[in-house]
Amino acid sequence: MPPEDLFQIANPIAMLGWIALTFAPFAPRITDAVAALIIPMLMSVAYSALILAYWSGATGGYNSLPDVMALFTDPHIALAGWVHYLAFDLFVGAWATRRARAAGINHLLVLPHLVLIFLFGPAGFLTYYAMHWAFQMRSPAKGATP
Amino acid sequence: MTALPMTRTPSRLWHDAPAFTGLALFIALTAIPLLAASLIDTRTFLDAPVWQKPLQFHLALATYIITLAFFARFLPQGMQSRRWRIYAAVVCFCIIAELVWVGGAATYGTASHFNVDDPVMGILYGLMGVFAVILTSASGTMGVAIWRNPATGLAPALHLAIALGLVLTCVLTLIAAGTLSSMAGHLVGTPVTGARLPILGWSREVGDLRVAHFFATHALHIIPIVGLLAPARSLVWAASAAYSALVAFAMWQAFQGLPFLPWLG
Repeated sequence: MPPEDLFQIANPIAMLGWIALTFAPFAPRITDAVAALIIPMLMSVAYSALILAYWSGATGGYNSLPDVMALFTDPHIALAGWVHYLAFDLFVGAWATRRARAAGINHLLVLPHLVLIFLFGPAGFLTYYAMHWAFQMRSPAKGATP
Repeated sequence: MTALPMTRTPSRLWHDAPAFTGLALFIALTAIPLLAASLIDTRTFLDAPVWQKPLQFHLALATYIITLAFFARFLPQGMQSRRWRIYAAVVCFCIIAELVWVGGAATYGTASHFNVDDPVMGILYGLMGVFAVILTSASGTMGVAIWRNPATGLAPALHLAIALGLVLTCVLTLIAAGTLSSMAGHLVGTPVTGARLPILGWSREVGDLRVAHFFATHALHIIPIVGLLAPARSLVWAASAAYSALVAFAMWQAFQGLPFLPWLG
């Protein structure tokens, strides 16, 4: 399968997970199963398959920035990298949603962080934690341990 | 985290042989990414898709150790004792090493068995031979222990068949696979069309030493089935002799450069 086709399939699948997270309070258990398990698992199978099939043929490596940049010149490896983002960003989004729910934080307050995790993963992770800690300082009894 | 309602595997297997049961399931599940890789990978090695062999190994080794886990109930104390647990752990390590080796070679589109051109792969091939003997020894060790166990609760013919099947798997596999590994490759002769049996991959044109390996290793399934049906121990002995002859025949036929049962198509 050409990498472009897989890319076109992977994006909407990840999007499904993000839509589910948006409406998480309506069906938290199903949302969590979809966004933290099923979709990341599917993505991980695709990622593993791409690495198993194309890693040995790719140039570059992990040791220097030019090496990493060389890796991403291979369409299959670039696609694998993209699927990696999709899978782990969604997983972190699901984690934040679950975490906020356990800490009694209103889901509406989580939504901006989900948008940020969706677009710029680690930045959203930071802002989520900032909010989470802020809530803990307000009511230590309510929040979960960091 | 939502725990998905996973189907429980029979607790008897977990109780008697936790390491083998767990590893069998793990091997089966890790075949999924290999299957996915086989769908997108167009590379071939020796005219076969590169992921065919790792998938066959996952299937074969999962079948092997789940069978051993099933027969573990006829050991005096399952695999609960310290010695059995250590032995089972060593066998599991060898199985994982074989799978990583075969899968790793497929990743790089190169040979695993018979790879002696590359020095590192040559050393690995030798080491994997040792591991293969260790993992095969599990059937023989279990066969002897079940043989000696007076309290299996089995009918005499079935008791003999299970013990003998396990021992035969060990002995015949060591002979068949040992012979196979002493050659330069699994084929005797040069194929022209590359015709082979589906799934098993045996050549339909020339001798294929993997046929004998396959039958040798499946003694632990076939002989116990005979034991289920046979009313007397003598029939089990006769069937075991006939089965060993079949393995010998398959080896002889391969060395003649002939495919197994050519009329199979």
